[in-house]
Amino acid sequence: MATNPMHQFQVNRIGPKIEISGIDLSFTNASLFMVISATFVTLLLLLGTREKKLIPSKVQLVSEMLYNFIAKMISDTAGKKAKPYFPFIFSLFIFILFCNMVGMLPYSFTVTSHIIVTLTFAIFIFVGVTILGFIIHGFKYLKIFVPSGVPIVLLPIITVIEIISYLSRPVSLSVRLFANMMAGHTMLKVFGGFVISLGLIGGWLPLSFSVALTGLEILVAFLQAYVFAILTCIYLNDALNLHH
Amino acid sequence: MKKFLIILILSTLFGGSLFAAEAGMPQLDPKYWASQAFWLIIIFLSIYLLIAKIFIPKIKNNIDTREDKIRKDLEEARIFREEAEKKLKMYKDLIENAKVDSKKILSESRQKLNEDIRIKKEKIQKEIEKETRNAEKEIEKFKSDSINKVGAISEDIVFSLLKDIFGEDGNKSSIKATVSEVIKKQRITKS
Repeated sequence: MATNPMHQFQVNRIGPKIEISGIDLSFTNASLFMVISATFVTLLLLLGTREKKLIPSKVQLVSEMLYNFIAKMISDTAGKKAKPYFPFIFSLFIFILFCNMVGMLPYSFTVTSHIIVTLTFAIFIFVGVTILGFIIHGFKYLKIFVPSGVPIVLLPIITVIEIISYLSRPVSLSVRLFANMMAGHTMLKVFGGFVISLGLIGGWLPLSFSVALTGLEILVAFLQAYVFAILTCIYLNDALNLHH
Repeated sequence: MKKFLIILILSTLFGGSLFAAEAGMPQLDPKYWASQAFWLIIIFLSIYLLIAKIFIPKIKNNIDTREDKIRKDLEEARIFREEAEKKLKMYKDLIENAKVDSKKILSESRQKLNEDIRIKKEKIQKEIEKETRNAEKEIEKFKSDSINKVGAISEDIVFSLLKDIFGEDGNKSSIKATVSEVIKKQRITKS
């Protein structure tokens, strides 16, 4: 049913069913929009790096601004040691940004509005950062749970809180992005539905809301990609520069 | 989360019937979880490799080239500026030297001129003095000459007067003596 605000999140198989050892790995509309987003990213960067001009063309300027923006974000939050992870953060930010933005097109599918997608990212980042921390600092990495300068009496409680907060990182990271994207798109759909149900007389109010919400959602799409990337940088910083 | 709650409330208030067909969120249906995660990993990995191996080095190269060029240009500009400043200093020095030289020449020539004038003045002064002396001498000579001549003329006049009045020649020597006596007297009374 098209008027169901949750219908837009429905995942459908496209093409033949692919099954590997009993697990369904079929190509779906979600996968299709991942490919579309990735294609847009590639296209932008391809056009941006096609010609090497001293005075950049518009597309070149966009790609260079993106590069500088993320380079600054990483150096501000995680310092110089995080430089080897720059390509990962760059890809993460730009891929999530484009998934969110492609989701803003009518009739499209928002890849990041699915908890499994954001959770995959979040778990990968969480596991990766934890392993990195242990590789760099060894067992001293466990100090991250014991903040310095805390009274002895409070230390057990603080440590428990720190452990819980550390373990909830993947959950908060993934749910933040997923919930924002889902809520925004549901709200747009609900207001869109109101426009139809209230008709020519009363439909103008929800329509104007829809327009405003679309603007807001574009902002949220950017902001959430940025938040996701910057939180990744902060977690990375914890693992690279252990000082709590 | 606030937005999420608003959606839930709005949906339950207005869109109750909308949920009749499909209840719940498709996101929580695990049917395609594995597929989504699988395709995400494949697609993200490929885009990561593309970005890390091709695009980022390219962009970095571009930016570095530009910064290099800018740095070089700035360096060049700095060198040019320094050169210009050096040249300017040289010109200033040149002008300064010329000023000093001209002052020196001016004062020297003035001194020379003054000396010249002084010498010429002296020379003229001497000449004037000499001329004056000559003139004075001449005047003196003329004076004495004129007295003698006046004497002679007076004698002649007296002689002719005596001849006209008395019809005889007077004694020339006594006339001469008398005239010179008178002249002497006149001179004394005058002076």
